[in-house]
Amino acid sequence: MSFVLGVIVGLGLALLIAVPFLKSRFHNRARNLEKAASERTNDAIARFENQSLLIRTALDSLTVGVVVASAKGEVLFRNRVASGMTGALHADVLVDEAVDVHLRGALSGEHRRQVIELFGPPSRVVLVAAYPIEEGGALATIEDITERSRLDAVRTDFVANISHELKTPVGALAVLAEALADETEPEVIRRLSSKMVEESIRAGRTIDDLLELSRIELGGEAIKEAIAVGLVIAEAVDRVRTLADRRGVVLRVLEPGERLKVLGDRRQIVSALGNLVENAVKYSESGKLVEVSASTDGLSVDMRVRDEGMGIPSRDLDRIFERFYRVDRARSRETGGTGLGLAIVRHVANNHGGDVLVSSIEGEGSTFTLRIPAAPGLTVASSLSEAG
Amino acid sequence: MPTEEARKNFHRELDEVRQELVRISASIVENIPRATTILLDQNLVDAEKMILADDEVDARTLEIEERCIQILALQAPVAGELRRVVAALKICAELERSADLAVNICKAARRIHGHEFDPRLRSLVLKMSDQARLLFSEATSAYAEVDSARAAAIDDMDSFLDGLHRQFIQAILESHAAGRIDLQVAIQLAVVARFYERIGDHAVNMGEKVRYEATGWVPEQFGAERHRRRLVDPTPVGGIGRAVPGTDGE
Repeated sequence: MSFVLGVIVGLGLALLIAVPFLKSRFHNRARNLEKAASERTNDAIARFENQSLLIRTALDSLTVGVVVASAKGEVLFRNRVASGMTGALHADVLVDEAVDVHLRGALSGEHRRQVIELFGPPSRVVLVAAYPIEEGGALATIEDITERSRLDAVRTDFVANISHELKTPVGALAVLAEALADETEPEVIRRLSSKMVEESIRAGRTIDDLLELSRIELGGEAIKEAIAVGLVIAEAVDRVRTLADRRGVVLRVLEPGERLKVLGDRRQIVSALGNLVENAVKYSESGKLVEVSASTDGLSVDMRVRDEGMGIPSRDLDRIFERFYRVDRARSRETGGTGLGLAIVRHVANNHGGDVLVSSIEGEGSTFTLRIPAAPGLTVASSLSEAG
Repeated sequence: MPTEEARKNFHRELDEVRQELVRISASIVENIPRATTILLDQNLVDAEKMILADDEVDARTLEIEERCIQILALQAPVAGELRRVVAALKICAELERSADLAVNICKAARRIHGHEFDPRLRSLVLKMSDQARLLFSEATSAYAEVDSARAAAIDDMDSFLDGLHRQFIQAILESHAAGRIDLQVAIQLAVVARFYERIGDHAVNMGEKVRYEATGWVPEQFGAERHRRRLVDPTPVGGIGRAVPGTDGE
């Protein structure tokens, strides 16, 4: 009996000891499992965070704006460019509105595209596109296509203009020749043939300018020598003096210092500056002033042609250096230019590592600046002797 | 909690009203230089497009107006929130009118079609347009950000536009005296100048509504104060008003 009792008590005691022991073992195991699991989760989270950071950085370095919306239409993500477009500026508001509208369209399964032309200033062309994402949600992209659409316009205009500029005199020649063929009156024949000469000169000049332009565009070996700015100005102005006298335009030259010199191709620079002075004279009324001056900051020389003419509308300012671009088509025949002058000026400036700048107020006049690198040896001290 | 949910919806609705008004306003900022280009280029095709597009602004402002009235009726907002809805209602009217003025510039383009006017006048039209655009763009940003300091500055900017307006009228008279433009074109241009000047005034009004929303201030309070004093003490005109800073706002 006592044996049985002893066994029961023994078992009871053993249980009493074993239970907490087992319990703590189970606990340990569970804790270990939990720890391992949480470590794995943490790893996964860290990996995921790394990846998402990578994707985020990649998206942020795009020049295109990216906006991602959930299936409910909430914006989940905007990259750097897109975030920069959420301000209170009116252009941003309009772009943001388009993104909003098209994201909603994309959520209902449509592909959307819209080109927004912003008047600015500065004027911009923005392409907003939106697409549905397969897992639900939508993606919108915002792209600044200002430069691309400007180049497109330049290209189409160039083709249209070159055919216009060359076809007009050729067409006139054909009509004049036809009239001449049946003519017997000597007086009329003389008049018609002199007209023909005039038109062929016109066509010839356009072709000459085109050749000159493509020669300068190709670059080639330009002769770089130190040229006195005073001489360049004198030569450029001399070419236009007759025209200025005929039109009653006052030409004034502010003589630059003798030591002011530029480095470049003398013929090209004279032709570029001559073009600027000629334009200034052509677009000035009788009695108005055209002033040519030069100055330097020690690194480059600015040759400036200022007129008091009709000025250039601000929206045309960035296009006037294109081949055949005309601010006022109706006047182009009147002034007799070929439409290539300013394109030549720009290329000369580019070839020399310089620049051509323009500022203009409609109705008050324009100032063109041809900037050419100064010849070495031109010290700051000598630049103080500049004119102007 | 249902009340909290309702409150959230109410605030979202107020935000949406502001967002929509800012968008309409931004489109007007864009339309001012657009109308000017149409006028200077005498581009009748684009003029027609813009005149038709005004119907959209009408529809949008009408919708916002109805929404504001609904908010007033259903939510009965008070204090700052009430001012917010009232300001939106008033700005709505300013926007509708300003969009009409931009369209009027396009209509004027149709009336002066085929007539040239000199570069000086063109340059002044551009300057007025730039200034009107700038004022409106400031008013738009001030409203978007409820920035009453920015809104207060619009009034000062407007005096520059008024100056340009006077200068332009003078230039029209000179141009006409020199025989460079027809009387008919001269009159049309004077009317156009008035449109820009009025757009500027609407921008100023918008600025005032922003200040009202933020602080409850309205410029008419100066006038009202003068009127109240005159009722109490009817001294001859000239003696009054000086005591009160500022001039009439409208």
